[in-house]
Amino acid sequence: MGVLAEVSGNVTAIGYGLAAIGPGIGVGIIFGQGVNAIARQPELTGVIRTNMMLGFVLTEALALIGLVAPFLFQSI
Amino acid sequence: MNAQSVLATGGEEFKAPGPELFDFPPLFEGAPTWLTKPTVFAVFGALVVCAVFWSAFGNPKLVPRGMQNIGEMGYIFVRDQIGRPFLGKNTEQWMPVLMSLFFLIWMWNIFAVIPVIQFPIASHIAFPAVLAIAVYFIKVYLGIKNQGPVKYFTNLIPAGLPKPIYVLLVPIEYLSTFILAPFTHAVRLFANMFAGHMILAFFSLVGFWFIFEKPTALGFGVGIIGVIMTCLMTAFEMFIQFLQAFLFTMLAAMYIQSGLEAEH
Amino acid sequence: MNEQNRRPEDGQREFADAAWSAPSYLLSGMLIWGGLGWLLTKWTGWIGFTPIGLVIGIVLAIYLIYVKYGRDSV
Repeated sequence: MGVLAEVSGNVTAIGYGLAAIGPGIGVGIIFGQGVNAIARQPELTGVIRTNMMLGFVLTEALALIGLVAPFLFQSI
Repeated sequence: MNAQSVLATGGEEFKAPGPELFDFPPLFEGAPTWLTKPTVFAVFGALVVCAVFWSAFGNPKLVPRGMQNIGEMGYIFVRDQIGRPFLGKNTEQWMPVLMSLFFLIWMWNIFAVIPVIQFPIASHIAFPAVLAIAVYFIKVYLGIKNQGPVKYFTNLIPAGLPKPIYVLLVPIEYLSTFILAPFTHAVRLFANMFAGHMILAFFSLVGFWFIFEKPTALGFGVGIIGVIMTCLMTAFEMFIQFLQAFLFTMLAAMYIQSGLEAEH
Repeated sequence: MNEQNRRPEDGQREFADAAWSAPSYLLSGMLIWGGLGWLLTKWTGWIGFTPIGLVIGIVLAIYLIYVKYGRDSV
């Protein structure tokens, strides 16, 4: 069977594009809901900020794993 | 973006624009290789910013009129939105730096959507890199001057952890603060301008190619979509240009403050 | 900065500080410990060291951000 469709060029760029979707949505949700929570209960700002920070860092880590994964797989 | 020059290199098929959009030949025959469109317009942008603020504040009146009104709006925006939240009582002293950074970068970014120029200067990483390195040297100099040559480096490390943890954490802290922070500072501006220019070039080339260059019944709809997306993306890019100038200046203010005072 | 002359906007500033420097902390954690893992991979030939180093680096970077910014604002 012949080749129906072919992807040429650097496939890892597509991979990182796909990998960035999830963290993008996640960061949006975290800060959106965080601002919402602070607007509802300003007296809890400190606690909400800390948890926002933690969630943001964990989500951002996924995006950065996506950034280095191509280099990792190329070396295998 | 220069649709004709990109099209001239293509053949019969549609070819998406690539990084060759950012390579410019010297301006005229026999010119030195550094004398290209981006360098000329970088200097031009700086001169425009100087001229605008000279006309605004060169002859200040107690009751502002004309250009002085606009200049004061810009000043108050930078002071209240960028300076005060980060620098606090040190704002007035650092306003010249913040004003120059913000309006220079904004002017460079706006060049992306001005006809004829149509090139964001900051999409060549050399320009944001120089600004970021300048801010970095200010930060380290202020830190050593205000906190002492040894204290500045020890203040960065959180106190009160068990000793073995420090072996693991200290390299991360120093690599982050002294190498990656200025790097990400420059790359944020560069990457946004680079990608924005690429997106605009792509959609306008789609419109140009499918409507004017190779009009077919099927391709016409694609061309219309390309033109509409070009308009939408131009509006979006203008917002991003402002936002990136704002963020670059905000981060500069943050780094200056981190040199002026210890974090905790 | 001691607790007496803490202004209300200091919390906001520290939060912005943390949020903007988080990516560079994570990157440097991955670079240092992932790089160490990569060197171990080169030395021993077992590919597993690189991902292990990366994960350790990320965990340490998250811990560092938590220690520096998260701990005292609760």
